Amino acid sequence: MIEIRNLTKIYEDGTLALDNVSFSVPDGEFLIVIGLSGSGKSTLLRCINRLIDPTEGEIIWNGVDLAKLEGDDLRRARRKIGMVFQHFNLVERSTVMINTLSGRLGYSQTWPALLHRFSKQDKEKAWRTLERMGIEDQAHKLARELSGGQQQRVGISRALMQDPELMLADEPVASLDPVLAHSILQHLEDLNQEDELTIICSLHYLDLVQRYATSVIGLREGKLVYQGTKKDIQMMTDEEFKNIYGEEAVRISDTSLEGSVGGVLEL
Amino acid sequence: MKAKKQKTYQEKPNLPSLVSPWLAAVLSAVIPGLGQALARAIKRGIIIFASVVSLVGLLIWRFQGAAPRDTGVIDIVLKAFKLQSIFIVIALFFALMYIWNIIDAYQVAKAAGKPESRKPFLVFFLIIMVFFLIGWQIGRIDLYGFVTQFDDSFPILSQILWPWEKAITYPTEEIIGIAKLESPCTDSPPQPEPKDDKPYLVVEPTCGFPTIDEVGKNEETGDWERVITQGTEIHVEGFNFDPGKEIEIWWRDSAGRPYVHRDLETGTNLKVIPDEDGYFETDLIWPFQIGDTVRTNVEGVAEWELQGKQISKVGAWEFSEELELVLILLIETIFIGMMATFFGVILSVPVSFLAARNLMNANAFMLGIYYAIRFILNVIRSIEPLIWAIMAIIIVGLGPFAGILALTVHSIAALGKLYSEAIESIDPGPIEAVQATGANWFQIVMYGVVPQIIPPFVSFTIYRWDINIRMSTIIGIVGGGGIGYILVQWIRTWKYQEAGIAVWLIAVTVAILDYVSAEIRERFV
Repeated sequence: MIEIRNLTKIYEDGTLALDNVSFSVPDGEFLIVIGLSGSGKSTLLRCINRLIDPTEGEIIWNGVDLAKLEGDDLRRARRKIGMVFQHFNLVERSTVMINTLSGRLGYSQTWPALLHRFSKQDKEKAWRTLERMGIEDQAHKLARELSGGQQQRVGISRALMQDPELMLADEPVASLDPVLAHSILQHLEDLNQEDELTIICSLHYLDLVQRYATSVIGLREGKLVYQGTKKDIQMMTDEEFKNIYGEEAVRISDTSLEGSVGGVLEL
Repeated sequence: MKAKKQKTYQEKPNLPSLVSPWLAAVLSAVIPGLGQALARAIKRGIIIFASVVSLVGLLIWRFQGAAPRDTGVIDIVLKAFKLQSIFIVIALFFALMYIWNIIDAYQVAKAAGKPESRKPFLVFFLIIMVFFLIGWQIGRIDLYGFVTQFDDSFPILSQILWPWEKAITYPTEEIIGIAKLESPCTDSPPQPEPKDDKPYLVVEPTCGFPTIDEVGKNEETGDWERVITQGTEIHVEGFNFDPGKEIEIWWRDSAGRPYVHRDLETGTNLKVIPDEDGYFETDLIWPFQIGDTVRTNVEGVAEWELQGKQISKVGAWEFSEELELVLILLIETIFIGMMATFFGVILSVPVSFLAARNLMNANAFMLGIYYAIRFILNVIRSIEPLIWAIMAIIIVGLGPFAGILALTVHSIAALGKLYSEAIESIDPGPIEAVQATGANWFQIVMYGVVPQIIPPFVSFTIYRWDINIRMSTIIGIVGGGGIGYILVQWIRTWKYQEAGIAVWLIAVTVAILDYVSAEIRERFV
């Protein structure tokens, strides 16, 4: 169970990115965060693993307030929280293997890791993870030589190396075409269902939200404006939709879900 | 990210001209560009005005330079036309440009305020044309001379282009046969010293007088004039020389000064060729002593020596001294470049971190350091390595160390800029991702930052190495060590073949290193 209480983030330039946001995510949930660009989705995800320090509020996870952690405590908490990114954030000039193993850095001793030395168990784990993602034959290629879909699988592999209990995914498919988007989200769904990993994922595509979410929250200008279950989102009305995405939002997809290929919100 | 507000770009309003087309033309005739400026083409007006002012200044300077000591504008102009016909072309184009400036003002004023009117550009073409022609005159460009003189310079150029005769030599050996002479004659003149197998000379007579060249009084006219008293005629026989090989006849006068025997009438060196037995004979006149000092022995007799010299190549060819010198200096040159790169890299890495904006924008103080370092790097980089070398020579004296210092200073500035730009352009994404795994600071740097900056750093380093090798070949011109120094020496002393060897080997070395560095860079990037 992760519980966000009155989370507020004001950037140095005065931008109010998150405004008193509170919600909770039971373990094993696949929570999808929707909202316009700039609505605070990325800030929210980065506050949870403290890539961004929240201005106010609490993030209670396993009884600990993540917002208050510092130093080693913070790093220990972080290594249990995997994260995948919109632009994959791989080190493009390192190999897939090194990128994957870097997910293990939180568990490694500093100096051997600096020399790219990892334990045998870590290496075996990396192979198993790459195998699970179906990219074990790419292990010795440079990350930049891979296609977008493959790179994101490396991103997921890196996160899985952390033995995470929580997975944050910041628009993990926004840089990919719809077919690849499904394949990546299916990997996340697998992790959610088989490994019972809690997933918090921000998305842009409504049909993907309707397909994969077990619950949904909506942000608009940093405020929580929508909270619903899988059922709710499938019955979402245009009114609610515009409430999240603003008046200028157009829903170009057919609202019937079956067989809709597009379902992209043109914003 | 925030949704960006749509900025509305309004078309600049096309305001009508402030003056009528005719007035604009008249104004531009008085002050070029004024008409255009008042027709709301202000920048155009300023450009035209500035161009015409600078052109007039240049013209005054060049015309005066072409016709010095003349007074009066017309005289100067006419003389310049007469001396260099390009001035006529320049004046014609200048006049055309000036007239077109007036027409341009009319056109611009007429078109002002009308939408979609394209402004004429011919006036700018004419301005550029006048600048070009003045440049031609200032540069004393002479294509005719270039073509015609090319032929004359061909013998020298061919020495540079094909210098390999000087690249090898053969070891030589001098075979000398001698005979002794004395002046004046005594009771016991020197006797020939025959040898069994070594060359020797026999002269007849073995004593006499050298030619005397003095100023004396002519008995008949009473004038002082140069009087040459011919020396003793001597019959020379040579034995045991190398058959068929040229022999040079040399003298050692009483003071032991060696000089080659010249025929007084023809002024040519006397050369004889021995027959198959190694024998020759010739007649010559005892020449005069070089210099005034006559050395005599205790009996007051000056002792002379006549020599027959044969130079013969012995043994196999070998590399010439010049080639060896070039090779040694090339090695020195390469190491100057290498050491400068080495020091440059070591010193510029810390500098580059201070000159990277994304690392130095934390507060105003750091930003101040950033700007200061950037400024210093720009200043250092804008001074050529040759000038740095001159300054370094003042401190450490001539030699390779000065060259290394100069190139190091320049490398720090150049690499500092390139490195810092590489740091500035790193992707923050991987850093964020590594941070999210719970890595500590060292691990973040090692996994998120270093892999991103290593390839550009290696690439820039090799690129700089390349430049440094190239620069080190000429840094010697000012005395900074390496091959440049001797190259310039040879060119100045007209030793074009030796210079050609240096030029060739520099070219080959640079080409090889160029290729190698390109290969290495390709591997890394």
